[in-house]
Amino acid sequence: MAKRECGAVREMKKIFLFRDYPFAIGIPAIIFQMLFFYLPLAILVVGSFIAFGEEGRLQGFTLEKLLFFMRAPYFKVIGYSLLLASGNALLCFLIAYPLAYYLAFRGKRIKNILLFLLIVPFWTNFLLHVYAWFFVLERQGFLNIFLQKLGLIHEPIAFLNSLFSVMVMMVYYYLPFMVLPIYSSLEKFDTRLIEASYDLGASWRQTMKKVLLPLSSRSIKTGFFLVYIPSFGEFAIPELMGGDRQMFVGSVVAHYILGDTTGSLGAAFTLISCCALIISATIWFKLIDYLLKRCVK
Amino acid sequence: MKPITALARTANLTLVASTYLFLYVPLIVLLVFSFNSTPFPAPWTSFTWRWYHELFSSGPLWEAFRNSLIIALSSTFISITAGALLIFYATQGGRIGKALVLFYGNLIIPEVVLAVSLLGFFSLASIPLGLATLILAHTLLGLGFVIPLIYARFQELDHRLHEASLVLGATPLQTFFKVTLPLLRPTMITTALLVFIISFDDFVLSYFCAGSSAQTLSLYILSMLRSGISPIVNALTAILLILSSALVLIFFSLRSRTKLF
Repeated sequence: MAKRECGAVREMKKIFLFRDYPFAIGIPAIIFQMLFFYLPLAILVVGSFIAFGEEGRLQGFTLEKLLFFMRAPYFKVIGYSLLLASGNALLCFLIAYPLAYYLAFRGKRIKNILLFLLIVPFWTNFLLHVYAWFFVLERQGFLNIFLQKLGLIHEPIAFLNSLFSVMVMMVYYYLPFMVLPIYSSLEKFDTRLIEASYDLGASWRQTMKKVLLPLSSRSIKTGFFLVYIPSFGEFAIPELMGGDRQMFVGSVVAHYILGDTTGSLGAAFTLISCCALIISATIWFKLIDYLLKRCVK
Repeated sequence: MKPITALARTANLTLVASTYLFLYVPLIVLLVFSFNSTPFPAPWTSFTWRWYHELFSSGPLWEAFRNSLIIALSSTFISITAGALLIFYATQGGRIGKALVLFYGNLIIPEVVLAVSLLGFFSLASIPLGLATLILAHTLLGLGFVIPLIYARFQELDHRLHEASLVLGATPLQTFFKVTLPLLRPTMITTALLVFIISFDDFVLSYFCAGSSAQTLSLYILSMLRSGISPIVNALTAILLILSSALVLIFFSLRSRTKLF
């Protein structure tokens, strides 16, 4: 009986929808998405294969733009970006997991305050954090003064414009992306499973390895890719903190795109680095799965 | 959770404490020096409000602030409205489960790629860069959050309420405004806050799609960073930190079940 009513209501809804409201009522979002997201992406992809002559005339299919980037310096740029993204994601994971663990199981009364303190910097303009780290890492900055006062160093160290400062800023900025998914899965974690594991004689380390980590694997993967993918294309942090010693994908893309005549080369390079990103992300995905499975054995 | 060893417990606590030190030491140093009367490389001399006064009398800064506000408000409004329309379509029996996948891309692809493809598109369609293009770009980012989050909450609603309303003679529009929307309101508000703050703080899309006419807050801060350290930025940081703490507090106090991820 109830089922039948549902069917009737569904019929009624359809009649209302098609009679009273034009079919397109829910579609603006989808049209918007198609027009301004997928169309530009398609243009980007197609544009990388098309040669333009003088005054923007079409000259047909070409692989020249893609081949232009098949050279060692560009592979190096992509390689360094992959290393940067992987290093950042791993570091974030190593810091985030204990933090999420603490927030979920041991935080108790201060848990909400700690969560609040985690999100506030995350919701503040990140250029201001770059600025704050300038302050700390400068030659006459806080860290140098502090280390000199302690007598650990005598000459100020140039922390800025190095891989070190880039890495610090990356971890600082991306940490919440890793903590929040892991925290929200650990918070819902059935703690009876942990108790059962202890009751059955497992040590803390074994419980960690064989119960907690494998069962939070989904959120670990979510966090990993929330960090890995954007940090591969990260443009602002290396640009501001890294000096010009090492170029990353983001800066190369920006360089070509914002140049006067090299726009479509930039598109081609974006396409190549996206392929590299997809391949490396798939490898990471498989690798994390494999490692977590090995944990259980 | 007893068998956890004392050693592991202390290690965990130390890690958490040092993580928070890592997060907050730079900010605290920055805030302290926003009250210092001599600009930075000098050590602490004396307390002053001078930089705050200069901040509030800086014209270009407030123009950039206003632009960012306009962009963030409009892109939030557009993406929330588009999301609501999509939900209305779903309440009328439209199937949008599959269309949902279309919107995941916005968050998955690196922002630089999104910015680059939009820039190419704008120049191909000869749309002049400015506030409008920025609003458009930020709306895309907003849709990536709005649609999955609102739809997830919509699916958790008790659909019998909606059917009861229809059976009792309300029109679909009445049902939507008096039943569905009020049930979705907490999620809508938190999502709107999230989209607002993401648009307001966005840097990469603004950097590529702004052109030379529209200055946003991020771009203004960038230009200040490039011209060297100035205590006015410290004062600005203090004020923006207070603003974002207020927003986070609102976000928490709503206690909706919207997850950040």
